[in-house]
Amino acid sequence: MIKLSRVNKQYPNGYQALTDVSFDVADGEMALVLGPSGAGKSTLFKLITRIEKPTSGQIIVQDQNLGRMRESKVPFLRREIGVIFQDHKLLLDRSVFDNVALPLIVIGMPGDEIRKRVRAALSKVGLAGREQDLPVALSGGEQQRVGIARAVINRPSILLADEPTGNLDESLSDEIMDIFRDFNRVGVTVLIATHDLRQVERLGCRTINLQQGQIVSAPPREVG
Amino acid sequence: MVTYLTRHLQVMLSALGAMQRNPAISLNTIIIVAVTLLLPLYLYIAVQSGQQLSDSWQGRPQISIFLETEVADREAALIYDEIRLHPAVELAELISPSQAMVEFRALSDLGEQLDLLPDNPLPFSIVAMPHSGHASREHLQRVEQELQKIDGIDAVRLDLAWTDRFNALLALVTQVATVLSALLVVGLIFIIGNTIRLLILNRRAEIEITKLVGATDSFVRRPFLYYGALFGLFGGLLCLALLGATALWLQPFIDQLAASYQGSARLYQLDMADIATIVLIAIAIGWLAARWSVARHLQQIRPN
Repeated sequence: MIKLSRVNKQYPNGYQALTDVSFDVADGEMALVLGPSGAGKSTLFKLITRIEKPTSGQIIVQDQNLGRMRESKVPFLRREIGVIFQDHKLLLDRSVFDNVALPLIVIGMPGDEIRKRVRAALSKVGLAGREQDLPVALSGGEQQRVGIARAVINRPSILLADEPTGNLDESLSDEIMDIFRDFNRVGVTVLIATHDLRQVERLGCRTINLQQGQIVSAPPREVG
Repeated sequence: MVTYLTRHLQVMLSALGAMQRNPAISLNTIIIVAVTLLLPLYLYIAVQSGQQLSDSWQGRPQISIFLETEVADREAALIYDEIRLHPAVELAELISPSQAMVEFRALSDLGEQLDLLPDNPLPFSIVAMPHSGHASREHLQRVEQELQKIDGIDAVRLDLAWTDRFNALLALVTQVATVLSALLVVGLIFIIGNTIRLLILNRRAEIEITKLVGATDSFVRRPFLYYGALFGLFGGLLCLALLGATALWLQPFIDQLAASYQGSARLYQLDMADIATIVLIAIAIGWLAARWSVARHLQQIRPN
């Protein structure tokens, strides 16, 4: 579960990124965070992954209060959250395999298990057999799939995707969003930041609307 | 455990690979480490070689006893017996005036002038070597005073002043070497630390992503600590190679110098313990430098 209560975030340069933001996303739910550029979507994700700390307010992720979390515990929080970025954030000098395997290497998983899991994850995102390719040899959509494979390889309970279809055409965007829906169907909590209204209609999930750092509408989630 | 060790091995091999991919930075750092370590090691070897020389003198201290010129053969033999049986004396040798003259003639260039002398002016002398238990300065001075009281003895020479001066010089060089080594270690830590900083900056994107997927600080730090340790290891090995080459080159000059003093001298030879210590110190310096640099720069890199 992700729960934000009256969260404010002001950057050191004085920029107020979020003002009094409150919402929650239940375990196994899929929700979209809508808003134009500069609305505060990326800041929201940075707060949920403890890249940034809120100026005030409370953030609970998987029953952990991030405001009280010790710095040494943050890596373990991040292992429970898979993050996907618009710019993919891949290591361009490493193979697809190395990129996807990174979260497993970090937790010290044995090599055999890593190979098995990487193959399975790449197969899931439709990139089976591309293990040894370098990211530069892949299209934008394929690079995004590598990013997704890396985000899910560690079987996280939460997936955060920050504008995952920002640079993709409609057809590829749909494919990527369908992958997220598939993960959601097996119980993963998915929160996607987007400004693509078409996906709202397609996916039909709850939306949280952010404008200039404030929530303008966040329908309460359906209980039961 | 096996997985843990395998990961360490992989990180070390990956650090080696990264060093190979940045040959200019790596080689520069290794050469700087080697050359910087050389200077205190030269001083260490100089001090150890001097110590060897000094030990060889102090291990066999000699007391030169000169009898009065009018002492005859029989009386000289009695004095010799008395000295030989002295509890502090282990060995003693009686040198007759004629033996002394032969030796003096050989050591000096005064052959013809000596021939002009009407008779041999040199007295009987005795060279005594004390027991090792009486080789300290205090014991030797006490023995000197006791021997001085024996009838027929003109002078007793216990020439420790030169070795004292030499030892004082060695002590000074040791102090200079210690201070210099400490300063050079600090310098090395800055140099290796700066190289590690460059490597950290080169891998900034990778560090950011690795932290984002849940890497702990120790995981991110590990490859850089290996870089530091490997810089130290290779720098230490190169330093030893340069040291060996310098010793080979210098030995003929040292032989030549020693020969002019009718002696022999060898540079202090590093044993396996010395070599292991030097390499371990070099590794420790590299590791420390990396640790310092990582502590300073890694915290500044946060996922974005």
